[in-house]
Amino acid sequence: MARYGMALDYKNCINCKACEVACKEENGVLMGADKHRIWVGVNEISGEYPLLDIVSHSFQPSQCQHCDEAPCQMVCPTNATYYDEFHVVRVDSDKCILCSYCMNACPYDARYVDDRTMTVDKCTFCSDTRLARGETTTACQNTCPTKVRTFGDLDDPESEISELLRTREHFSLKANLGTKPKLFYLT
Amino acid sequence: MQIEVSRRKFLQGTVAMSVAGGSALSVTNLFASHEHESHAIAKSITTKTGEAKEVKHIPTLCEMCVNKCAAIARVEDGIVTKLDPNPMFPKSRNMLCPRGNAGIQALYDPDRLKYPMIRTGEKGEGKFKRVTWDEAFKYITEKTTKILDEEQDNRSSFLFCAGEGMAEHTFKTFYQAFGSSNWLNHASICLQTVASGYGVTIGAYPQADLENAEYIIMAGANRAEAIVTPDTMDAFKRTKGRGAKLICVDPRFTNTAAKSDKWLAIKPGTDLAFVLALTYVVLTEELYDKAYVEKYFAGFEAYKKHVVTNSYTPLWASEITGIKAKDITTIAREFMAHAPKAVYYPGRRSTFAQNDFQLRRAMAIFQGLGGGIDTKGGLIFGDKISLKGHESLIPMYDKAKSRAVTKKANHKEGEAGYDDCAVISGGGSWLGWRNRFLEGKMPYKVRGMFCYKHNPMMNMPNTAKTAKMLKAMELVVCIDTMPSDTVMYADVVLPECTYLERTDPVKTFGGVEPSIAQRNRVVDPLFETKPVNEILRGLTAQLSRPLFDITKKYDEEVQDSIADGNEEEFYKEEYDMTKIYAYDQEELNEHAVHKYHGAAEALEKHGVFYPKMDLYFKQLSVNEHQYYPEKEKSYSVGGGKPKTPSGKLECNLANLASKGIDPMPTWKDEFNFSVPQGKFRLLTGRHAQFTQSGTSNNAVLRDLMPENYIWINKREAKKQGIEFGDKVEVSSRTGSTIIRAYPTEKIAPDQVFFVHGFGEESSALTWAFKNGGNDNAVIEDVLEPVYGAAAMHETNVEIRKV
Repeated sequence: MARYGMALDYKNCINCKACEVACKEENGVLMGADKHRIWVGVNEISGEYPLLDIVSHSFQPSQCQHCDEAPCQMVCPTNATYYDEFHVVRVDSDKCILCSYCMNACPYDARYVDDRTMTVDKCTFCSDTRLARGETTTACQNTCPTKVRTFGDLDDPESEISELLRTREHFSLKANLGTKPKLFYLT
Repeated sequence: MQIEVSRRKFLQGTVAMSVAGGSALSVTNLFASHEHESHAIAKSITTKTGEAKEVKHIPTLCEMCVNKCAAIARVEDGIVTKLDPNPMFPKSRNMLCPRGNAGIQALYDPDRLKYPMIRTGEKGEGKFKRVTWDEAFKYITEKTTKILDEEQDNRSSFLFCAGEGMAEHTFKTFYQAFGSSNWLNHASICLQTVASGYGVTIGAYPQADLENAEYIIMAGANRAEAIVTPDTMDAFKRTKGRGAKLICVDPRFTNTAAKSDKWLAIKPGTDLAFVLALTYVVLTEELYDKAYVEKYFAGFEAYKKHVVTNSYTPLWASEITGIKAKDITTIAREFMAHAPKAVYYPGRRSTFAQNDFQLRRAMAIFQGLGGGIDTKGGLIFGDKISLKGHESLIPMYDKAKSRAVTKKANHKEGEAGYDDCAVISGGGSWLGWRNRFLEGKMPYKVRGMFCYKHNPMMNMPNTAKTAKMLKAMELVVCIDTMPSDTVMYADVVLPECTYLERTDPVKTFGGVEPSIAQRNRVVDPLFETKPVNEILRGLTAQLSRPLFDITKKYDEEVQDSIADGNEEEFYKEEYDMTKIYAYDQEELNEHAVHKYHGAAEALEKHGVFYPKMDLYFKQLSVNEHQYYPEKEKSYSVGGGKPKTPSGKLECNLANLASKGIDPMPTWKDEFNFSVPQGKFRLLTGRHAQFTQSGTSNNAVLRDLMPENYIWINKREAKKQGIEFGDKVEVSSRTGSTIIRAYPTEKIAPDQVFFVHGFGEESSALTWAFKNGGNDNAVIEDVLEPVYGAAAMHETNVEIRKV
């Protein structure tokens, strides 16, 4: 089985939020600014007009890091958070008791509460929608105007993502925590 | 308490409602918005895909903005649950922006126009009664024939106006057959001056090859937020030291500025001085492509003399623009070092400053100096796949008067020919026309108007004047999908279906990789809505003959022609409007592409066609596709030759001088930027998540940005005690609007900015109603002198915390 990961050419991001809408429409995510599986982080610019620091104003597309050592999965008392066959971090809403340990444990703030089921929800790499139908892209990757994302099998040395990670410099978010994220930011 | 309505449940509800007919609705409340007490968006309006039995994938074209990107609709049990990008279209190359993704919400917007309606209340009040299509057509026919009878068959006593769209031409054929001379569209509030400036200088409004350009100056264009395909996709993959150096020139620090390698904060309306100084450097340092200039320039020596003797130096421009002289010099040198793979990006936007036409001329000439015209990495004309047109009907009405313009009295050579502008183009000046109408300066009475997919109340400066005009019209017929501010002033409302419910005229897309694409019907029209082709078929069936009878009464030419008793035959041949709408769109499209083997089938199956597509198209990687092999791409179609009638790039246009327009781009002192103490220059613009007022009621987009905010410099805001989220009143001589504040250093202390398209006054729009500020309530109606285009950035405003 594939072990899915995502490489983000984040310098391409123009903060248009096509990914956010595609995610909500594909996965039936709730409306509301606090109900998102995916987001673009923006730093407020530093400096005074017109002497502004261009570099300070960057866009950081992000979502669940699908850590190989996921703190959310470790703290879950009911095993609601689990790894599916694609090594994607998922939540079994039947088992979730909304204790919210996972939300506190996640260093990336990637989880929120779905008010319909009153359970925790998060990015699934579209595994129960697109991947389940045999498609090989996530909604966010597919729709992106500047093609920030490359999604693929990290265990397949021939895959594009493996090639990218071999040939391009990259970093992970909060790598020092030992969470081993499967999101890689290309520099 | 918010009511949760899933899309599926909503649709079941609407089906039930249409079966029940009008009985469930009161006659005055035809807008669903009145049924909701809360204005909150239901929390669950999206649908998880893959939970239905029957799934279909239908290729179509987006209509959330003007780009026409290709999409594939996922239809599950008859409901559109997802719009995905269609990878096969060279223009949009497998992408859909946030608006494209949110198109589903346009289809299932509960506030949509659902039935034909006739006004019962005062104009602007939004009170209507539901009628049948037949009743609506009958009402229009009676009113129209009465007016035409009284105006003795002056067909021009009706105005026709339309917004941009694939079916604009379908509506325009109605205008032509009707025989009016008064046609207005988006041009004069859109890209009139840029298209014409390039048109007269290099013979066409070009595209830019941002995929291969090594140096890009993007001035007054904001491709990170005002998305244009494929430019947006091409530009930002290669900036920040990755192959293309991007210089952003903008008074505001936009998202484009954030993605650029250098941002130059220019004073509003002074871009012309910047370009003239770039030109000065290139001419005096002889950095230009001498072979190109020799071969393709006309009037080069005159222009060189003009620029040099006027001393348009970088130092001169730095005073005017606020950009350092050494930056101007460096950019001029860098641009020419990379030329012809260097682009001074033409942009496509409305007119900001009065000098916009001359700015475009100067930009086109500067581009030409580097030889970057009709070439890879520069500006390109591209190739186009021709389509076969279908018949239109343009009858001769002897009593129809020419366009309602006022020529300047005692006009002299070298002066503008008209009261409000120098040149009358096909579209004409919307502002000029409206103001003439209000000021009683029309050469004859215009008493009615037909308005298609167009929102004059929101789309042009000085909303109060537009309202006055709409009130004065005796018959206003609106064909639209949404109860816009303009629809509120209609006498008759004819509901069109949304783009996902109709097949539109097939369209050819020229460029480096030319193709044909088609908007296919994804689902059947909801409620009683119809495509405009079918609406006009129904209307002309009633209207055509009675109108001919008016002509017969007053038109002596027609009386002569039918004197020998062949009236019926003559009418059918020359005046029968119904025949232009006799065919369904699908039939017309098949006819249009008939000469290409397999095209009709490909357009239905893939939404896209071009010769050898089956051979050329392939996926290269997870994100990339090949449309044409490199050697088959149309980077150059004439070896660099401009498309002007002379085949030359026109620096010096003597025929402009005879019309009172500078024959060469010239700076004038009145163009200098200044703002009186205590006031701010109001800037307006676009946004990646909204398309003008057209998307203002879209629930999913509003989720991304609930309302527009006014940018005000942080230090200035602090002085006035304005904090983030505070409500402020923005006012000018034209009017005022209320909007929340966003203090930021991304704007100069003497300027403010907010996104256009918000603050609608139509109470039938649940979410857009009085949401945010309306720029056009404040912007003054300043006309650009060449075409009378609306100059949007010429208004100073006051700000007051409320």
